[in-house]
Amino acid sequence: MAEHQFFQQLINGIALGGVYALVALGYTMVYGIIELINFAHGDVYTLGTFFSLSIIALIPMSKFTAGYELWLIAFIVIVLAALLCGIVGVLIERLAYRRLRNAPRLAPLITAIGVSLILENVMQLWKGPSEVSFPQFLPDRIHTFGGIEIHDHALLVVFVSIACMVALNILVFRTKLGTAMRATAQDRDAAQLMGININSTIAWTFFIGAALAGVAGFTSGMYYGTTFFLNGYQAGLKAFTAAVLGGIGNVTGAMLGGFLIGIVEAMTSQYISDQWTSVVVFSILILILVFRPSGLLGEQLPEKV
Amino acid sequence: MKNHRAAIVALSFCLLAACSNAPNGQTGSSGGAQSGNNVIKIGADLPLSGGDASDGIPTANGVKLAIIDANKQHMIPGYTLQANILDDAVNGVHSPSQGVKNIQSFASDNAVLGVVGPFNSNVAKAEIPLSNSLGIALISPANTNPDLTKGSLAQELRTTNPNAITYFRVCTTDDIQGPAGADYAAQVINLRRAYVLDDNETYGRGVADQWAAEFQKDGGTILGHDHITKGQQDFHALLTRAASQNPDVVFYGGTTSTGGGLVRKQMADTGLGAIRYFGADGIRNDQFLTDAGAAANNSYATVASVNADKIPAARAFLKEYQAQFGQAVGSYSAAGYVAAMTIIDAIATAMKSNGGKVPSRSDVLAQLRQGLVHKSIIGDFSFDANGDTTNKVISTYGVQNGQWVFLLQKNYAK
Repeated sequence: MAEHQFFQQLINGIALGGVYALVALGYTMVYGIIELINFAHGDVYTLGTFFSLSIIALIPMSKFTAGYELWLIAFIVIVLAALLCGIVGVLIERLAYRRLRNAPRLAPLITAIGVSLILENVMQLWKGPSEVSFPQFLPDRIHTFGGIEIHDHALLVVFVSIACMVALNILVFRTKLGTAMRATAQDRDAAQLMGININSTIAWTFFIGAALAGVAGFTSGMYYGTTFFLNGYQAGLKAFTAAVLGGIGNVTGAMLGGFLIGIVEAMTSQYISDQWTSVVVFSILILILVFRPSGLLGEQLPEKV
Repeated sequence: MKNHRAAIVALSFCLLAACSNAPNGQTGSSGGAQSGNNVIKIGADLPLSGGDASDGIPTANGVKLAIIDANKQHMIPGYTLQANILDDAVNGVHSPSQGVKNIQSFASDNAVLGVVGPFNSNVAKAEIPLSNSLGIALISPANTNPDLTKGSLAQELRTTNPNAITYFRVCTTDDIQGPAGADYAAQVINLRRAYVLDDNETYGRGVADQWAAEFQKDGGTILGHDHITKGQQDFHALLTRAASQNPDVVFYGGTTSTGGGLVRKQMADTGLGAIRYFGADGIRNDQFLTDAGAAANNSYATVASVNADKIPAARAFLKEYQAQFGQAVGSYSAAGYVAAMTIIDAIATAMKSNGGKVPSRSDVLAQLRQGLVHKSIIGDFSFDANGDTTNKVISTYGVQNGQWVFLLQKNYAK
């Protein structure tokens, strides 16, 4: 019974962690390349949910009933939401951060908080300050493995997250753009001298990070069935913690951190008390910053000289 | 230079955002300009945006209707009544600090002689000390936490003028509402194993404790009691833990805006979908039905006021409300109407006794403190020495086919 309970919570934690991991990737990529903690990123994630449900509203859902049709629609919605979020990410970089790239570090940080407030208020004006329900059009069958129940929607979160991470890893380590991103992260000036277009590389980084948040927006909307314009605030802080836990700037670390934070939350709720989850998560943030600032896996980039 | 301008643009955007982030001080009617001659204002402080709006707006409509009726009947001869209705919700949730700002704004307008509100008990907790020191009458249509009026905790809220009651309410309290709900669960539906949750606010925690205590008295078992956190979105882990104890009912103390609907929705994901869900007046609203979606069925809630549908005296009110606002009344629409009417009555009586001059705020308060019997659309009542109503009726509702359906109501007055 006790083990069964543990594994059930593990499933809850992994599903929650899948969302955190996708959002954490955006934090970590942006930090890796321009050393900015993009506090608006959590709100881009909420924006992803809002984009998704607006796109779904445009589709005449009643016409599609077959399972494969619904999954195809889900795929299209994910791609469109990711695309829109990516564009928003690029716009944010272009309008707010690019001019401040060589400014003192505090300036872009405060700007990030300003962008976050703008996004939150735009979303409040757009959908109102109430919970907004998200159409859960995908089938939600329950699979039972030895008494442990797993819902389709939880599987969706986890598999989409893992698929995105694999794709991202290939992109960063196997493609020209990825090489350019890593080179820019290592030394911007040297990269420029090697003929890398810094501006477009950084814009692509923002695009990819925001697009992943858009994907997380869809999967979390499907998982919870509701959304709220301020959700990104808390989720963003937790995802940021995940990025720090894994080692900020480190792509694999962000995924690991995301899943760990999700599992820690579920286990805290099970074995301590639900109201302690945030305390435990943010205590981890403080402990990591004090004792191992480079995170579990450390910054993957070579030391800067 | 170019960079400079961009910084200014960015900064002004932030300011703009900060401004719109601040409450949307919605006003019902009225403007500050005509507060001169022949206008008497009734303030109302209610949550009008976000998750609480589906409770706050119908209550505000009740206040508006009272003003319309009073003006029609010339209850204050020679004067026009106006409602000044302010929103106390910030970012979609009722906010005590915004409530305090609203009371200050009412107090600074001499034409405001009394205030209807607030809706939420934690907002009341912040506002009562202010109303006590300013000497402005506050009549709540919906606050149910007992500690706002009774006992030593209530005394602490009245430190400026310990003996002067400025806060009254026309609904009854959670020491009656909580047990009434628990009795329904234990005795009518025969439930035995409860898991209790609350939102850790003044109202939610209080009503959850009251409900749990009575449920145990009725022979039920409380399997666990957890508090959820503000802004929490994921309840899967919490509910998985609750499910492992095999409850036959989950009680939620709190409002829809603090998570009441989301908890119900996620119960369906964690094997608790077929389990009954109990709450109190905080979830008896349409927003709950929206948030919980298909999972809303088999939910129950009590309301600390009568169901106006069952009172012959309220028929005209219900008809007028439907005609005016094109929708059915909310849990506390009639209470909002009665709260406003009680203030207007007090103004009218005080005016008669001082020869037609506009009474002061303290005249109005003195009138309210007399303990007179008020005839109202929710039945006759008077305020006791603490400012509580003697009308102690609890009505019970359940969700059937995605709609709130009235089940029964009971009078707990001794």
